[in-house]
Amino acid sequence: MVNTILSIPSDITGGTYFGWGSFQIQSGNLIVIIVMLVLFVLALVLPFPGNKRSK
Amino acid sequence: MSKIPASVSWRSKDDIASRAWTGKKREYDLFKELTVGVIVVGVLVVGLSAVFSSPDEPSVTLKSWATAAPADFVATATAELGGTSGTAGYGAPYNNTPDVGQKLGPINLQSLSGVQIPIDTAVDFVTGPLSLQANPPQALSTWTAAATDQRASWTSAYTDALTKAPNNDPTQVAVGDYGPVPALTSSLLAMAQQGALDGAIQGEGGFFNLDYTRSILFLGDGAYFVGLADGAHLTGDQWGMMNETGNYPGQSWLWLFSFWYQVPVVGGAANADILVVGIMLLLTVLLGLVPFIPGLRTIPRWIPIHRLVWKDYYKRR
Repeated sequence: MVNTILSIPSDITGGTYFGWGSFQIQSGNLIVIIVMLVLFVLALVLPFPGNKRSK
Repeated sequence: MSKIPASVSWRSKDDIASRAWTGKKREYDLFKELTVGVIVVGVLVVGLSAVFSSPDEPSVTLKSWATAAPADFVATATAELGGTSGTAGYGAPYNNTPDVGQKLGPINLQSLSGVQIPIDTAVDFVTGPLSLQANPPQALSTWTAAATDQRASWTSAYTDALTKAPNNDPTQVAVGDYGPVPALTSSLLAMAQQGALDGAIQGEGGFFNLDYTRSILFLGDGAYFVGLADGAHLTGDQWGMMNETGNYPGQSWLWLFSFWYQVPVVGGAANADILVVGIMLLLTVLLGLVPFIPGLRTIPRWIPIHRLVWKDYYKRR
């Protein structure tokens, strides 16, 4: 039987949260969602590389 | 046999797919793209992992629980002995508790699975592991010999006494008729604090333990484990389904599942899980049927984002 050596998990961090009322979002998730939206808008706005050559 | 069968190949027709391409052509190297893609993505994954790492919180075990919150451990062990814990009354797939389980209308979906992982909390979590010790406590034989009513009376009295004790401390419990319960729970606490209980409860018999079902159920019956989850924003009513510990990004794509748990009518219902699954199934079906649903299928005309995506095409039209 193998028992892993473990310490007391007293240092589980809660992280930074933003929220209004029952809506709570973790900072890491917020950054990922913002980056996704920015990339989506950039993909719409920026010209596709190589478009000129293929025309 | 001389008759030539009619061709079924699409190539025989003069359709658009079988015509030769007459537009402009340019070189395309699939291997080059694959190589560049794998290298760039590989460097990004390894580099970002090295810089940001991932959460590596220490595991919560029965040992860490018994060490950090002995009073909660003893109270939970008493509930397991008396059959009053969450697991003892959960129903399928652990036991046959009547009139429990999440229903959708008249259908009890939870009970349909039957008892697949039979668990007797008193035996599997307390008396069974204690009997595996080299010197099992004397109280074990007293417990085994007692009638069911007597056992329930002892555990009920001890649970009440623990609740009334200062800080729920088992060492400060008032004198009473608790039978072998205090001796059993204190022996289990000592066993857990030494780290022997984790292996004994899992007890798969092999070299490695891979099935943590029983340990997690026992942990989940106490207040300590839930408290840790609550502190780390991981419970259902805190959007916990899409969170990670600390500031590490979690499963943000589960936002819609998490959202329904925040709606009081859904999240507060006794059958919240089956309601959320039902709603998500319904929404998935609606998404699949969008081309056939008047109104929904017209949204792209009202909000023409596709015209931005294929703006070159729409410019030429």
